[in-house]
Amino acid sequence: MMDAKAVAPTKLHFDSRGIADNALNSRSLNFLLGSIALITLPHAGHIPPPIFGFFAILLIWRLAGVWYRHWLPNRWLLFLLTILGIVLLIAQHRGVFGRDAGTALFVVALGLKLMEIHSKRDVFLIVYLAFIVAASQFLYEQSILMAGYILLVCAVLLATLITQNATHVQTQAALKTSATIMLQALPMAMVIFVLFPRLEAPRWMWLADDNKALSGLSDVLEPGSISDLSLSDELVFRVRFDGNVPPPVLRYWRGPVYANTDGVHWTKDSNHNQPTQPVDFSGDAFHYTLLMEPQKQNWVFGMDMPESFDTSLHRNDTFQLLSNKRPADRAEYKIVSRPAYNTGPISPTDYRRNLQLPAAATDKQQALVNKLRGFDGRPEQFIQNLLNYFREEKFYYTLSPPLMPDNPIDTFLFETRSGFCSHYATAFVYLLRIAKIPARVVGGYQGGEFNKVGGFLEVRQADAHAWAEVWLENKGWVRFDPTAAIAPERVERGVNVDLQVASGAVNFGPLINESAALNWLKRSRQLWQSIDYNWQRWVINYNGANQMQFLQALGIDGIAALAKWLVGSLIIVTLPLAWWLLKQPKKPADKTLLIYRRFCNKLAKTGAAIRPGEGAKDFAERAKKQCPEMAAQIDQITALFIRLRYQSDARDGDLQRLKTLVGGLVVKKVI
Amino acid sequence: MHHALHQLLACADTVILGKQQQIRLAVCCLLAKGHLLIEDIPGVGKTTLSHTLAHLFGLAYQRIQFTSDILPADIIGSSVFDSQQNSFTFHSGPLFNQMILADEINRATPKAQSALLEAMEERQVTVEGQTYRLPEPFFVIATQNPSYQIGTFPLPESQLDRFLMRIELGYPSRQAERELLMGQPRHSLIKSLPVYLPDEQLAALQHEVSQVHVAPALLDYVLSIIEFTRQSDYPCGLSPRAGLSLLAAAKAWAFMDQRQAVLPEDVQAVLPAVAAHRLLAASHDSAATVAPILQQVAVF
Repeated sequence: MMDAKAVAPTKLHFDSRGIADNALNSRSLNFLLGSIALITLPHAGHIPPPIFGFFAILLIWRLAGVWYRHWLPNRWLLFLLTILGIVLLIAQHRGVFGRDAGTALFVVALGLKLMEIHSKRDVFLIVYLAFIVAASQFLYEQSILMAGYILLVCAVLLATLITQNATHVQTQAALKTSATIMLQALPMAMVIFVLFPRLEAPRWMWLADDNKALSGLSDVLEPGSISDLSLSDELVFRVRFDGNVPPPVLRYWRGPVYANTDGVHWTKDSNHNQPTQPVDFSGDAFHYTLLMEPQKQNWVFGMDMPESFDTSLHRNDTFQLLSNKRPADRAEYKIVSRPAYNTGPISPTDYRRNLQLPAAATDKQQALVNKLRGFDGRPEQFIQNLLNYFREEKFYYTLSPPLMPDNPIDTFLFETRSGFCSHYATAFVYLLRIAKIPARVVGGYQGGEFNKVGGFLEVRQADAHAWAEVWLENKGWVRFDPTAAIAPERVERGVNVDLQVASGAVNFGPLINESAALNWLKRSRQLWQSIDYNWQRWVINYNGANQMQFLQALGIDGIAALAKWLVGSLIIVTLPLAWWLLKQPKKPADKTLLIYRRFCNKLAKTGAAIRPGEGAKDFAERAKKQCPEMAAQIDQITALFIRLRYQSDARDGDLQRLKTLVGGLVVKKVI
Repeated sequence: MHHALHQLLACADTVILGKQQQIRLAVCCLLAKGHLLIEDIPGVGKTTLSHTLAHLFGLAYQRIQFTSDILPADIIGSSVFDSQQNSFTFHSGPLFNQMILADEINRATPKAQSALLEAMEERQVTVEGQTYRLPEPFFVIATQNPSYQIGTFPLPESQLDRFLMRIELGYPSRQAERELLMGQPRHSLIKSLPVYLPDEQLAALQHEVSQVHVAPALLDYVLSIIEFTRQSDYPCGLSPRAGLSLLAAAKAWAFMDQRQAVLPEDVQAVLPAVAAHRLLAASHDSAATVAPILQQVAVF
């Protein structure tokens, strides 16, 4: 029963020949396989199924091999497996360059290396490979949850190393030790994180195979494009205001402008390279920091109307903010917006462009426009009448309107009369253009949920919105939101995503059924979002530029000052730790034992390696048989060692004598 | 004194043939002030061994044959009414001897067993409110049949722990058996043996054994052994008492080897006898039971 338990490796690192059969300690092997399974698990999502399956089979095979050693592949089968792995890699990735192929390569190598564990060295190699695979997770996901997971898995890997090195350490004790090691490394890691110069990969090195599907507003406004987003609670950006938070009715986050239409689709102008005309701002200014989540386009949704902004942004002539940073990265921007503005006159081209219609107005449309225009031909009056028309006639706001494939404007206005923001905005603009008033549709987000815990605003895909902009003489472009006329709650309260997801439709009724549980859910989500915001902001977003800014604020400029700070803070951080560790009651290093180990290592070369459970006297007897010519020396050294280590009558010179004797021992190497 | 001890061992070897290691362990047990449990089938010389030891050490010896109907009073003794003095007087039982052979202890009921085992631990007995000291030295050799034999009450774990050592004698070798068959009867041989160590000398030896040096490094080894048994898949790890016993036995072993300090080898030598019966392993083979300890616990 006990014999089945493999022999635990010794604390001593004697000659590897003495240890070879100890490398396959089944408990630490199980530990190793378990931690490798944990590490590769998140890769299941981004490694092609054939390669991941190949790896999984190897892992399970190896696990079975713990109990049935004869099942493990021999050298030839292993060779074939390696060929198979290479073929899979080439078939799936056509090479080993790039993030995906590189990760797959490491995973396959890890799986194959698992099949040949012969010595301790192999185990160490596997553990280091596993660390690389663990780090490669961050190429795919950098969330706080993933970081925590990887940290946990690394603790398990460290524990594997501990069980490999120490004698009969219990699982719990090994995990505890590895957790302690990680905690001790934390302060140093933090210092290096903050101070070590960040290297930014040049643009051409950006990984091309970024296949994460990003949702968001698109170039074309189609009937379904916003309702698709309305059920997604995916975060688009977060805003932290310095000072007052604007009321919901002012929170229009400006995106692309859709000015061209074919009656069904609304597209944005391709050419917006004209210089932006100056805007005349008035009223209160709102200062805020905007943290964009990864997205498809380089659009930054500033609050209507951005006045000044970071140098990495520019405002095009539709007043949309565009970033020159990589859209797939999170980025932070400082923006100042003022809700009261006058954009001034527009060029005749723009005037014409914003009156463009795909076809002449139908009779019904013309009749409606004529009716609404009334006696007074002023555009303001027409807009007012149109808004009143939407409000007073039986129009409904719904996110699941009936399909209107052919002639959406007519169908919407005269038949179904139910739709959501994009229907109202497009119909509104369409009618204004018939009335020869320049108008266009603006896409973006509206509202956002205020996170009380973190003190910031979260804007999600569900907040996607479309509204209208009308050019009025002396006022410039003025925002009108026809949706607000139909469903003012949409604008004032925002979208309740929890309810929406629960019921599958929008509910703008009074939220009387907002139960305590829902409230609790909301609050815990806000707390989590707040943690996540700070993680994104302070950890993920801490790039070269931000680091430089931060360090300059600390008064560090130049590489010399940085080096001084780095070394200085490392010393400051490590000194207390070292002091604390030294303060711990610890056995003084046993010099006798160190010298004796040297002696054992010398004898190991003759083929007489000491076994873990062997005492010095027994070992001496065995060694003397192995090399009788050294019997006298072995006896002398062993007697001295025993006197120093176990007897009470050791004399002063004994240690020195032992040292001399061991030093003078010359062994002939046995091959 | 070492010389006398050496002679004693040599002499015992002439009586019990081919069992040097077991005799050494038995003497070691006596020197460490522990009690001995011999487990083996009938007829391999358990009684002879104990009788020989008693004789060689010059100890007052009594054999108690345990049967299923033996009562505690049969062991300890009882108060008997003395009509002349008109009072009860205590008639001490066979327990009041320096060396007791508790033969076939697992044939007795637990009640009778516990009477003996209490006396072993306390080295005194209390009868009707009166406490009687047992003689010094007090050494119990219990023999038991393997528990698979019929009509046995196996000793409970707590009582097994009170025996410093458990040894098995086993069949003698062919050569030893031939000599046995040719030689004179053992019991007459025992009677002719001289006394090598009178009991006051035994007390002195026992005192010297307790003075054997134990280095911190050795304590570390003993502690790792104990820790190992508690963390491995043994049914039961070694108790603190087992640790004390192990150290005491190792000291005695080192002393018998004429050393003044305990070496890991001493611990390893006594480990099968001291630890195997406390680990409650399924196997009755002591050496196999402790083999993982000897192989896996690093000495340094």
